[in-house]
Amino acid sequence: MAEYQTCDRVRRRDFIKIGAVAGGLTLTHFLRNAAAIEDSAPRATSGIFINLGGGPSHLDTFDLKPEAPAEYRGTFDPIATNVPGIAISEHLPKLAAQADKFAIVRGVSHTLAAHELGSRYVNTGNRPLASIEYPGIGAVVTKESEAFSDLPPFVAIPNTPQRAGFLGVQYSPLNTTQTPKPGAPFSVRGISLGNGLTIEEVERRQGLLRDLDRTFGALHEDSQLLEGLDRFSQQAFQIITSKRAREAFDVSRESPAFAEPFGKEPFGQSCLMATRLIEAGVRFVTINFGGWDTHQQNFTRLKTRLLPALDTGLAALFNGLSDKGLLSTTAVLVTGEFGRTPKINSRAAEGGRDHYPRCMFMLAAGGRVRGGQVLGGSDETASQPAGHGYSPADVIATYYRNMGIDPTREFLTNSGRPIMIVRDGQVIDSLLA
Amino acid sequence: MFCRTICRILVAWSILIPAGSQAVDATEPLADARQRFTEAEGQEVPDFQRHVAPLLGRLGCNGRNCHGSFQGRGGFRLSLFGYDFPSDHEALTRGAAPRVSVANPDESLALRKPLGLEDHEGGQRLSEGSWQHHLLRRWIAAGANPMPRGGHRIERLQVEPAEVFSESTGEKIAVRATAFWSDGTAENVTSLCRFQTNDEHVARVDEHGVLTVGEPGDTHLIVYYDSAVVAVPVMRPAVSDSAGAIIAQSGRTELDRRVLTKLNKLRIVPSEICTDEEFLRRVSLDLAGTLPSAAEVERFLADGSSDKRAAKIEELLQTPAYAAWWTTRLCDYTGNNEQRLNNIDGIQANGASDWYDWIYRRVSRNEPYDRLMAGIVLGTSRNKDESYNDYCAAMSAIRRGDEGVHFFDRESMPYFWARRNFTSADDRAIGFAHSFLGVRLQCAQCHKHPFDQWTQSDFNGFKKFFEAVVAGNARPSPQSKRDYEAMIEELKLDEKKLKDNDRAKALAALLKKGRTVPFGETYVDFQRLRAKPRGRGKAANEVRAKILGGEEISLTSGEDPREAVMRWLRDPANPYFARAFVNRVWANYFHAGIVEPPDDMSLANPPSNALLLDYLAQEFIAHDFDMQWLHRQICNSDTYQRSWQSNATNRNDERNFSRAVPRRLPAEVAYDAISRATASDARASDYLQLVAGRAIGIAGSSGRLDRGGNNGARFALQVFGRSTRDSNCDCDRSMEASLLQTVYLQNDASVLAAIADAKNSWAQQIAREFTTAGEGDLPTIDRGIDQAFLRTLSRHPTPQDLERCREFFADSRSARDGLSGLLWALLNTKEFIVNH
Repeated sequence: MAEYQTCDRVRRRDFIKIGAVAGGLTLTHFLRNAAAIEDSAPRATSGIFINLGGGPSHLDTFDLKPEAPAEYRGTFDPIATNVPGIAISEHLPKLAAQADKFAIVRGVSHTLAAHELGSRYVNTGNRPLASIEYPGIGAVVTKESEAFSDLPPFVAIPNTPQRAGFLGVQYSPLNTTQTPKPGAPFSVRGISLGNGLTIEEVERRQGLLRDLDRTFGALHEDSQLLEGLDRFSQQAFQIITSKRAREAFDVSRESPAFAEPFGKEPFGQSCLMATRLIEAGVRFVTINFGGWDTHQQNFTRLKTRLLPALDTGLAALFNGLSDKGLLSTTAVLVTGEFGRTPKINSRAAEGGRDHYPRCMFMLAAGGRVRGGQVLGGSDETASQPAGHGYSPADVIATYYRNMGIDPTREFLTNSGRPIMIVRDGQVIDSLLA
Repeated sequence: MFCRTICRILVAWSILIPAGSQAVDATEPLADARQRFTEAEGQEVPDFQRHVAPLLGRLGCNGRNCHGSFQGRGGFRLSLFGYDFPSDHEALTRGAAPRVSVANPDESLALRKPLGLEDHEGGQRLSEGSWQHHLLRRWIAAGANPMPRGGHRIERLQVEPAEVFSESTGEKIAVRATAFWSDGTAENVTSLCRFQTNDEHVARVDEHGVLTVGEPGDTHLIVYYDSAVVAVPVMRPAVSDSAGAIIAQSGRTELDRRVLTKLNKLRIVPSEICTDEEFLRRVSLDLAGTLPSAAEVERFLADGSSDKRAAKIEELLQTPAYAAWWTTRLCDYTGNNEQRLNNIDGIQANGASDWYDWIYRRVSRNEPYDRLMAGIVLGTSRNKDESYNDYCAAMSAIRRGDEGVHFFDRESMPYFWARRNFTSADDRAIGFAHSFLGVRLQCAQCHKHPFDQWTQSDFNGFKKFFEAVVAGNARPSPQSKRDYEAMIEELKLDEKKLKDNDRAKALAALLKKGRTVPFGETYVDFQRLRAKPRGRGKAANEVRAKILGGEEISLTSGEDPREAVMRWLRDPANPYFARAFVNRVWANYFHAGIVEPPDDMSLANPPSNALLLDYLAQEFIAHDFDMQWLHRQICNSDTYQRSWQSNATNRNDERNFSRAVPRRLPAEVAYDAISRATASDARASDYLQLVAGRAIGIAGSSGRLDRGGNNGARFALQVFGRSTRDSNCDCDRSMEASLLQTVYLQNDASVLAAIADAKNSWAQQIAREFTTAGEGDLPTIDRGIDQAFLRTLSRHPTPQDLERCREFFADSRSARDGLSGLLWALLNTKEFIVNH
């Protein structure tokens, strides 16, 4: 099997060719096979990362303080969930009905109050440094996972702040660049046959290509580039002509009964696509859901638009994964780049909340995550963690552990510098079963 | 056993400190520590800097996983990779639980833990009764003293042999390292050095400095001691030559001679000279970023003159395409990124295009490299002696696009300093070193650079040069404040009400009406350079900065501090400025730099051919930094014009330039190549004269600023790894192949349209020819096949190719389908996407 030089100077086998050997192998089969090998260490084999860009208010969602003074408390009331003792915002009723499926981490805390820096932190698990670009979580998972040869291993809906960083572009996501519309066919640029081409015509052209592409002859043995190009050529052909790849992105193929709970908003439709992709065998999916930067009109925007969309999409995602039997093998993390100021500002008629990294929340579900629990907490005005709190790095280290990836492992940069996957994180054992 | 090692008893000097005293103590160096400290007791007291700290490094104590980690381990922290002697000494001897006990040395944790007598997460590192144990113990017993005030200064580290040449795999060669100190003493420090080889396949080294020779090839042994880093070349020839069959070659140009000197040593026979087809394709892509058209190939092949290659090089150097491609590269090195330039001068302007155009103007006029760079290094918004009002009037005219006024005519290009990610002195020191020196200074921001000479104090001294530069601000300099306020009043702008975007919009509207509006400024704030008074009777504290590896300079003279740095860059003795550029240009023409990666010029990453790099850098300076001279030298050499076809001696050579190594086309070049290969003859004819509409003419980093209205480029450029110009690394440009690139070439709608039926496509033109000549007209088919090969692979089809293509046409539904299929197949050959 071909070997490729990667930027960490390690020759490693290229993508494992499961799909090519047994085209009909489903994920469930694959997982069963994998489970047979690693029975003793159950773990999530796929991941979903939901990025709430802008920084959602913790006080109005998952960390309410009904007893706090009015200038902190806001206008939302808590409601009970299906787990006794856990209450969340009244505008998240669908999530409240299945709080047993996810864990809430409160009192997550850091110090980066700028969008970009905070976002880089929560998307990589490392406080950003000028001298190095840390890889996004999806890039690390892609590097560490086996993947089907006719599917992209890492998909971003519609894009993501997660980049491959020093790991190298081959671990970059495939961006869908758009979100699906309810019931409408969807495809991603380049990966389904276009311009009236048929599989027969592509095969005919491939035949000509093979005969013409012989100039370098024996040089292949000495050139990883030439050999790699040959491999990519086969794989591209597999993806382009793969029914599975094409259908995985096409949410319109989902049964109406299954699709209906995901609603009509772009976020819900993205969640629907994520379940399809994970079911097909994609290893890592990110969803970008922005608009949480509520400096003004915090309550109106949350209650009319943001929270209903989040509630519908996320609840349907947890349910959908669960119905398909995928929740136990799919690690889900939901987070913004920071929380928002507990004290409501009064710059406009309806006030808002500003950037606040000292206290925020994250949601975790799937894989080994023990749902139906709250970890950590905050003080009476949700201004700082109660007790020592957690860092984003802690939660992300736990996320890697959930996926069976040792967060203290080191990769080498192309200058030979060893970099830990998560530099400063402590795994939170109680989050996992 | 007969040792065939040729140990040249030349001496490898570490090029460290410009030697204060070259006088070498004639006395014999002290014997190695492992011999001097074999006994538990003795006269000699070990020194903290010379012996104890390096020993801790050798034992691995200050590694990043042990006590060198920023959090320390087990409550004990050492500086990462050593060299912070005072704090390391303090960590050992002070605190609530000191690691040493002078009163009772054997009870010291610093001994008990590494000896394994007490719980130690790092395990046993010392054995009882060893010289290492005795060295540490004797230092503790004698008082655990720090090094003398100010420390010892190492003058040089001498490693013997200075070069290792071996013919037999498995041969073992011991090296010896001697430290020469500024006090005139010398000492064998072999047992206290750290050793490493840069390619384990060619040679391995153990902790005692004994090399074991491996596979044929060449690499370097790197020796570290104190702040010194010395590289020793290690060579193992590719083939044995007992019969003397391999004849040393002599070169045609000086450049070739320098390459061949090394190849002869390694007994590598270089490849033959490439064909005319290969030469034309390669030089057009490398020098001008442009795939030759079918007509250009035919013309070149038909030209019978003996100097046609040199003439082609000359011709390409004069094209806009050459200037555009090299402007793109210079924008890479200097970091032209439009996202970092958002609204930098307060008018929502497009600094990235100004940046590109300013460089383009100078490259196309072949302005000397040092002068071009000085315009960036010393960038200020106002020209010399220009008033604030005149500056604003000029910029307003430029932004309005008034006839005859251009940004590129301004004296300097200030946006380098104005980028949003370039505001702190730390970021500037790192970015400056990357752009102009090809040096990675990042490590020294927090600790001694593990692979180079730089310490944190070097870093902090260097960054001082950049602290007073104020940029990226929509406001004027303090001196311009009055003029600015007058202008605001005249324009009847309410500054208090207008924040950021609204202000920019209001100014843009006034600009459109023909008014002169205020612009932000990049300037030096001399207030920050004033000496700080220290109280009565004391001399004021001067603001000082330090050149990397050079002198300290006072910044209070009233001169722009960057002038001093620029003088240093231009100094012919500067080891980086010319070298960095020459090496980057070289890397563009070959698959790798002479130093690789090209932006990592460090002592532990030496050039694969130092003589070659020296020659090019010296001559580049001697030719007044003439960029075209450099391109001409390289392109006209045999070394550049070699075939990719290898022979038995050079098939594994990738670092000594004995053959052309196939490499993927850079993103912009690939995109333009696809569009030229598929364009109609009329449209493809003037690519060398085009900048607008071409990917090599895009100013910023994202492809968003395409002035040719060709918005399709952005996606492709991202997929093919156009430089993101974002992180002070030449690796922001990706030259790797990827699956998505292949998916793009095989199946992207834009490519499929270009080969099938797009407007102004060659497919459309040929379809018309078939309409005239008839679908099955064989001469038209043959001509189409020939042209398709010339357009994509820059060669005629071979007879087998032609045969196979005729079959394909016969099997196609229509001639037009046949042609699309053929173009598709050719664009997807490795021969197309690889420069060879």
